[in-house]
Amino acid sequence: MATAQAEKKQTTSTMVQAVRSALIDEMKLDEDVVILGEDIGIRGGVFLVTEGLIDMFGKDRVIDTPLAEMGIIGAAVGMSLYGLKPVAEIQFIDFLFPGFDMLVSEAAKMRYRSAGEFGCPMVVRSPYGGGVRGGGYHSQSPEAYFVSTPGLKVVAPSNPYDAKGLLIASIRDPDPVVFMEPKKIYRAVKNEVPEGAYVVPLGKAAVTREGKHVSLITFGAMVHVALEAAELVKKDGVEAEVVDLRSLQPYDMDAIAKTVQKTGHVVLLQEAPTIGGFMGEIAAHIAEHHVGYLEGPVVRVGGWDTPFPYALEKAYMPNAERVKRAIQKTLNF
Amino acid sequence: MTVTPFTDKPIKLLEYDGTPGPDVDSLGLSKDEFISIYRWLVYARAVDDRGYILVRQGRSGFYAQIAGQEASQIGSALPLERTDYLFGDHRSQGSMLVKGLRAAEWFAHQLGRMLDPSQGRLMPHGPGRKDLRIVPPSSTVGNQITEAVGTAMAQKIKKTKELTICYFGDGATSEGDFHVGMNFAAVYGSPIILFCQNNQYAISVKLEEQTHTKTIAEKAKAYGMEGYFVDGNDVLAVYAVTKHCADRARRGDGPALIEAYTYRYGPHSSADDDTRYRPKGELEMWRNERDPITRFRKFLEYRKLWDDAKEQKLQAECKAEVAAALEEAEKSPAPEPITVLDYAYEKLTPHLEWERKELAAELGIS
Repeated sequence: MATAQAEKKQTTSTMVQAVRSALIDEMKLDEDVVILGEDIGIRGGVFLVTEGLIDMFGKDRVIDTPLAEMGIIGAAVGMSLYGLKPVAEIQFIDFLFPGFDMLVSEAAKMRYRSAGEFGCPMVVRSPYGGGVRGGGYHSQSPEAYFVSTPGLKVVAPSNPYDAKGLLIASIRDPDPVVFMEPKKIYRAVKNEVPEGAYVVPLGKAAVTREGKHVSLITFGAMVHVALEAAELVKKDGVEAEVVDLRSLQPYDMDAIAKTVQKTGHVVLLQEAPTIGGFMGEIAAHIAEHHVGYLEGPVVRVGGWDTPFPYALEKAYMPNAERVKRAIQKTLNF
Repeated sequence: MTVTPFTDKPIKLLEYDGTPGPDVDSLGLSKDEFISIYRWLVYARAVDDRGYILVRQGRSGFYAQIAGQEASQIGSALPLERTDYLFGDHRSQGSMLVKGLRAAEWFAHQLGRMLDPSQGRLMPHGPGRKDLRIVPPSSTVGNQITEAVGTAMAQKIKKTKELTICYFGDGATSEGDFHVGMNFAAVYGSPIILFCQNNQYAISVKLEEQTHTKTIAEKAKAYGMEGYFVDGNDVLAVYAVTKHCADRARRGDGPALIEAYTYRYGPHSSADDDTRYRPKGELEMWRNERDPITRFRKFLEYRKLWDDAKEQKLQAECKAEVAAALEEAEKSPAPEPITVLDYAYEKLTPHLEWERKELAAELGIS
């Protein structure tokens, strides 16, 4: 609180407040920014991210849509072709799939297929991830689909400060961005968020905790599980480094190189099922470029390779104990 | 003329033998404009014929002919302004030419040369050009519909007098994209013309196996939108109905669906064999009795605006223009292999920078 008083322009914020603040600041600065989605108007979004925005910016810029994700993403593509900068909200990322085609066949490929003439400067923001008793259709982490689609950028913040800066960077980015908001920590994690627009650059990771024995590479809500695991192993004298990728496409190859070369031991953490997951790419990248630094196996921790469960969520989701065992597996190799 | 929505029979201004109906003169088109329309029809077919020959010569990949559908394409593109947006599908080259795409660019698109606005990145079914507001289509049927509606929503948000036209076929009306797009367009009162070229076949599937409604136009009712059923082989009728819808859109009266009832002469694409599914005699009937170009020529002759000498001169001109366009396309270089990495993103990502080094090494360049 002392910091908040000293720095007048900082507010202790939740991620919901930070995302809302990013939208407001950017919409004030750039009248081409419009937002669209289901229930984002008078309801303010089901998570209240867009609360009050319709009164501030009007119905032309805060657009409640019919219930059709294909239409939301399709319309956003068309608006971006015209020169607007649409920010589409998909209520839960599990519901994005009716609009998947518009994202992967249209937004992602428009620049390429027009040899750079047209682009789709748009953002699709959506809550993702488990831990909210949401079952198989309100909990998934489908980043792998988007990361493996050239033309898309993929971003997933782990805290309010980054969420605001990364969202503003995404809105200003000339390419389409899938912005994944970890809903489990929408209100659970707070930090200081400056008023006014600022940018956290895409493609840059952050070292959230320094350590020299093992690197925990992750993103989004799992950053907090990694931090918890780092505390657990500290008791055994293990100093774990936590790297928050923040951007998944493009991902920060330099940050990965640095931490792998520093520790020689790697644990990769994601919520999504392991097979074909994004962390498989990071594992392959490390194997291809930094194998000489490795002193143990690269270990992945993810959700099990099943659909996301409801009552068995705790058994499904990666937790600090599971990460701890993975750390031991690579250290005791 | 009064343009009426939801007619049982297609709206037409010319009989099949070219005899004009009473509404032709209410269009306010001059003799020169009639001749100009005819020139577009003949020119589009000349480009199309040459394009198909390129496929048969093995010089071009996939090709979807427009032959038979020229009136639908030319008649609907003529009322457009430069600032209007055009979203096509794989069979829209006639409309694209009217909107300003050059035949040389079209041929370069087929040949995959640098003059192609997509610089060899798209299978040849339609390039885009930003300055002409032609958006390059993807191959996924119907995707352009919600996209086009989004552009029209933007045109309305920005309080312009512009509009968007979106082309698709009868098959696309079975896709969710069509229904979602129709609904969005109607809900937002977007200035868009949803233009369905109903050529009666989606590759091999006949219209009656595609939909249970009698017409496609009547589907508009379900969305609270006007739907117009027009003879797609009557260029003046297509022009009149599209102009009517364009005027409505510019006035702020919102979207409309147009169904242009037409017929394609060629197979679905160069990879299709249409003899497997067309009933005997059907193609010949459309070609011999309902051809859109012959029909309009007969109208010009009826009005004493045309004769054999003029026809020969026009055919020769079009042939020469097409030859010159193809020559220009052929002179255009093929894209350099290293450019394969460009334009996935506005700038190469760090990973693409690395891949560029790999490819450069493979190519022996720096």
